[in-house]
Amino acid sequence: MAQRAVWLISHEPGAPLGGTVRFSRRYPTVEKRAKVFNGASYMPIPEDGPFMKALLFELRLLDDDKDFIESRDSCSHINKTSVYGLLIGGGELWPVVAFLKNNMIYACVPLVEQTLSPHPPLISISGISQGFELLFGIQDFLYLGQKHDTEINTKLNQLPDLLLQACPFGTLLDANLQNSLDSINFASVTHPQKQPAWKVGTYKGKPQVSISITEKVKSMQYDKQDIADTWQVVGAVTCKCDLEGIMPNVTISLSLPTNGSPLQDILVHPCVTSLDSAILTSSSIDAMDDSAFSGPYKFPFTPPLESFNLCYYTSQVPVPPILGFYQMKEEEIKVKITVNLKLHESVKNNFEFCEAHIPFYNRGPITHVESKVSFGQLEVFREKSLLIWIIGQKFPKSMEISLSGTVTFGAKSHEKQPFDEICIGGTAYLKLHFKILDYTLTGCYADQHSVQVFASGKPKISTYRKLISSDYYIWNSKAPAPVVTYGNLSLQDNF
Amino acid sequence: MGPRSRETWAQRLGAFRASPSAFMAGPEGEDLGCDLLSELRSEKLSEQTKVSLLALSLEYPAQLWPDTAAAEAAATSLLDTLVLLPPRPSALRRPLLLAATTALAAGDALGPTSAASLRLLPLLLGLASGSDLGRGFGPASEQRSLQATACECLRELESCKPGLLGGRLGLLRGLLGQEGPVQPLSLLLALALRNALLIQARARAGLQGLLVAGDAPAVGIPWNWALAEEGAAHLQPQAPGWPAAEVQECGLAVLEPSPEEARELRAAVAQLLDTSYLLTPVAQAQLLWLLGWALRGLRGQPPVLFKPQLVRLLGTAQLTLLHAILALKAAFGEALFTAQDEALLLRRLTLAAQHPALPLSAHLFYLHCLLSFPENWPLGPTGEEAAPLLLGPRLCRGLLPSLLHDPMALLARLHLLCLLCADDEEKEEKAQDWSPQHYLEELLAGLRQRAALDGGPRALATLCFQASYLVVRCLAMQPAVLTPLTRGLAQLYQSRPALAPHFVDLLDRVGPELGEPLRVVLRQEVVARPGKDEALCWHLQILAKVADGNAQSATLGFLRAAAARCTDWDLQQALLQVCRALLRAGVGKGLADLLQALARQLEDPDGRDRARLYYILLAHLAGPKLGVALGPSLAAPAASSLVAENQGFAAALMVQEAPAPIRLSVGPRRAEGPVPVLQLQVEVLEPVYSLELRFRVEGQLYAPLEAVHVPCLYPGRPCRPLLLPLQPRRPAPTHLDVRALYTTPSGLTRHAHLPPLLVTFADLFLPFPQSPEGDKQGFFEELWDSCLPKGAESSLWCPLGPQGLEALVSHHLEPFVVVAQPPTSYHVAIHLPPNSRLLLRLEAAQVDGVPVALRTDDWAVLPLAGDYLRGLSATV
Repeated sequence: MAQRAVWLISHEPGAPLGGTVRFSRRYPTVEKRAKVFNGASYMPIPEDGPFMKALLFELRLLDDDKDFIESRDSCSHINKTSVYGLLIGGGELWPVVAFLKNNMIYACVPLVEQTLSPHPPLISISGISQGFELLFGIQDFLYLGQKHDTEINTKLNQLPDLLLQACPFGTLLDANLQNSLDSINFASVTHPQKQPAWKVGTYKGKPQVSISITEKVKSMQYDKQDIADTWQVVGAVTCKCDLEGIMPNVTISLSLPTNGSPLQDILVHPCVTSLDSAILTSSSIDAMDDSAFSGPYKFPFTPPLESFNLCYYTSQVPVPPILGFYQMKEEEIKVKITVNLKLHESVKNNFEFCEAHIPFYNRGPITHVESKVSFGQLEVFREKSLLIWIIGQKFPKSMEISLSGTVTFGAKSHEKQPFDEICIGGTAYLKLHFKILDYTLTGCYADQHSVQVFASGKPKISTYRKLISSDYYIWNSKAPAPVVTYGNLSLQDNF
Repeated sequence: MGPRSRETWAQRLGAFRASPSAFMAGPEGEDLGCDLLSELRSEKLSEQTKVSLLALSLEYPAQLWPDTAAAEAAATSLLDTLVLLPPRPSALRRPLLLAATTALAAGDALGPTSAASLRLLPLLLGLASGSDLGRGFGPASEQRSLQATACECLRELESCKPGLLGGRLGLLRGLLGQEGPVQPLSLLLALALRNALLIQARARAGLQGLLVAGDAPAVGIPWNWALAEEGAAHLQPQAPGWPAAEVQECGLAVLEPSPEEARELRAAVAQLLDTSYLLTPVAQAQLLWLLGWALRGLRGQPPVLFKPQLVRLLGTAQLTLLHAILALKAAFGEALFTAQDEALLLRRLTLAAQHPALPLSAHLFYLHCLLSFPENWPLGPTGEEAAPLLLGPRLCRGLLPSLLHDPMALLARLHLLCLLCADDEEKEEKAQDWSPQHYLEELLAGLRQRAALDGGPRALATLCFQASYLVVRCLAMQPAVLTPLTRGLAQLYQSRPALAPHFVDLLDRVGPELGEPLRVVLRQEVVARPGKDEALCWHLQILAKVADGNAQSATLGFLRAAAARCTDWDLQQALLQVCRALLRAGVGKGLADLLQALARQLEDPDGRDRARLYYILLAHLAGPKLGVALGPSLAAPAASSLVAENQGFAAALMVQEAPAPIRLSVGPRRAEGPVPVLQLQVEVLEPVYSLELRFRVEGQLYAPLEAVHVPCLYPGRPCRPLLLPLQPRRPAPTHLDVRALYTTPSGLTRHAHLPPLLVTFADLFLPFPQSPEGDKQGFFEELWDSCLPKGAESSLWCPLGPQGLEALVSHHLEPFVVVAQPPTSYHVAIHLPPNSRLLLRLEAAQVDGVPVALRTDDWAVLPLAGDYLRGLSATV
């Protein structure tokens, strides 16, 4: 259940070593146990340098894939999880939990309380999920709300103290590192009994509850007979409850209008105290019919101090908000493009922004564009080989807009234009970026009056909604699109 | 060394962290541990610097204090520092406690004889109990945090020495009921409880009231190490982490608590579970793992206690919580999860494995959990990944792979798809609307299309081959899958020959189901379409792998054409590598011409030499031997193929010593002819060819012996006796040293030292050649008389067995009898080469023996003859 060591390594493509160890922490008492448990298969934790080198190699992050290297490229070297075995000094260090996010590699080595040869199944190692949780926790701490390098450096400097708090001996106590930071600062507060470990201190002030529903809509549109278009809504309900008392109880109900799309695949925050079985079982795996549970979706919970995601859901709305087609034909160094977009009449025609990005991959820079748009304006980013059609805040009355034009390209230079493995030849897409405030595609809303709060004082309740696009692709219908299709199978994955 | 400033410490710590081993090997390494401890009490350093020093000691105690004594001293010093802290708030108390704990646990110092342990344990327990330890332990505001820290320290010590807190379970329970911090106490109690149960079960003892709440904080009472001593055996590699591992093995099943104990235990577990919602999600998961582990197999402890928690936890997306539920599932199976519960859990898992709100790593882990799902009634063999029975194609629809997935997700989903295909094949009536095989085929085609892209990243090619390998591994028995796969791969090679190393790797790893047809199509592909020059080296690499005895003329034709284009060293070597493969495959005639041509025409002398070598080998070695000579060397892979080849030659052409598969023994004597001849009987354990047996006699007793040759010997097939003529220079017994030289079925020549053969005195006996038909008695007397005076005479008593003299003579002396008067009198004349005689008169036999008079013309024979006769009587 414990970790033997944890690392943060920044990936620096092109740098001599390929990266830098930004943080590492070892747990010698756990290492002691590993030695006993692993017996002859025990492999000590290496020093940072050799570890980083082996990890970068295994993750294919060293720029040397010119030659076939058996230990990495062999067809039998199959990794189906983010858990790796690293070859270091003739031995294998396993299991190494590692993933790359925002150019940072998060890695740890969980303790396995048995021999390592043969490898026991991952499901039997409690430290694997704990390791993931620790790394996710560090990632959230570093990147939630943070964008600038200086802020991240500051946070990296706080990490040793935080882990001393949240994971003093390698056994994770709280994956929410922000909590640990607060608990250092709150140290002088006297705690009454039955204080939850996930809640540091109590709130003092005006009671208020804020609920915001964010729906992301993703879509794959092909404009083809034999391939079905797909779209999916993913919702997240975020809450911040500023309420006095140690354990205030709150119940939030999400409701749908009569023609709303049922919520499915609901995942809740651990603070939710009970769940209706209809909520637990409503799933996108099942065929939709009228009998599907359509709310209200009640979530009773005891809130933590900080803002948290009360639940996530998905939904299958009957139509995509914007339906379109994209036609692109190659003519030597030119391409001819035609785009047509139509906003569905049921969708609120009031965007915060709406843009169509039309990238051209594996070609040279744009040298010339001739275009005609029925609405909005077209911006050309020559070096990036990108067109952006700025549609603005509203679709016109007709709800339908179009773009046509010819784009000419210069010579391709390999250094500047990264290789795209999907968009080859005529295979191309346009991607829609839009945001509509105070609106959800499912119709889902949190009724202020249905929010029940069992705490002293009448809280102010505020609710927010928004719809944003995410992975909203319209593929060139004049060329093959990258999808495996058969029958009515639909692609419902994140891209 | 004097006190250091903050900056020098920062530098020193930085240098240490960059490479601890290098630092410790350097001049400053030795003092670091001592310096660190003394500087902690320096008043010049800030608390922050001291915290960073302590942080270092938390990570590298083994480097700072490498042995038990040093660790003990360090822990003592850290505890002293803690006690000496002024009573104001300090950031050092917590890290000092952690550091002292780490030093003891990591330094193997924890134990009843360690003074530091005996100081630390009561201190921790006192802090954990919330007792007032005096002003030295800081202001009241720090107590709560120190209480939690003390619990963590105790938990770590208990982890490293199971049973340490076994005697304090009651106290911990009491504390949890009071106002102690819930999470640290819960986790500590759960761990101590699990360890105590495990140790007691091993010792076949009950809980012995360990759980009964006691409220006296045990300061001052001597620490009870008994359970920890027993627990030492528990921290063993066999301790299974997964609760499903054999319950019997860990012995929990034998623990049968008394009704009161069971009640106490249930109450303690319920107490822990009831407050578990106050724990952070990761701590809740730990609690469930520990309690699930503690209670499984324990009689009278129904797991229903867990049920209320499950409903709450199933809805979450938390990786650790779902994982803990799976652990409970594995531990309790049907006792906790009905078939409906199992179905629901599978649905939640399937959902989590693709939920867009969760990160990829979580998806992949959930996919793994699906394929290793602990089913109530598993059908297949345990330990292998398989799709659970309840996970039908319907549930899997959302988990199908697509080209847009990350490689790991694609492979994980592909595995699931393959399992579906395998299931689908077994089903009699297949689903009409959707065929997993068809889907699989399209996906693989898409992967190949991407791998075929010129200049595309290697990762894409690797992914394509990994997918193909996975498919072959899962679906090797399905020609409907393999045929299009083979065709597709051939097309892939056609469009991108640079992938040759991947093809070679694939051929090395797949079985004959794909390997055989793929070899054939690749050979055809290469031979039929020589293509451009750039592809030549790849073609040769492929051919070296796939060339065999088939389609010889086409292959040779290709090589002849290619030879002209092989202008540099690399290409020539690659070309010769193909020739080598053909040599091994036994291709003869055309190849000899090609090799001769190459030996003349190649520009590079290295290439010419190698071609000539191959030609010579081809001309001089028979097929099997050639195959072995060129076969892969068993030695470690060499840097160059030539070296490897040389090693192969060395192995094949040198005579190696080996334990002999040959057994040699002396058969019945044949007393005839002019010289004594040993009849050798040979048995072999494996076929042996061209056997040559070489014999050597110590000293000059015999003339050198001729070797014996046998063309071939097979086990179990009788072989006529081998005759070994002996040419003694003196009539004396001896040992023959025997060596065998032979060829094994694989064509290797071996030599072996066989156990020595004994040539006895009797083996040398020959009858006198021409005893005249007429006067035998006269002939004998003549011989008898001729022995003296030069020779010697003796007489001895030869005891007889029940069968009497007749039997003895007929057994041993028959061929040498000159005059016989059965059953009482025999005259025996023995010729001993080279030219000695031994004459025996056996006359007037009595019931129990016969007097023997003997004469010989060679006095040296006398003792041998005596021994022989005495030996005869012994054998009777």
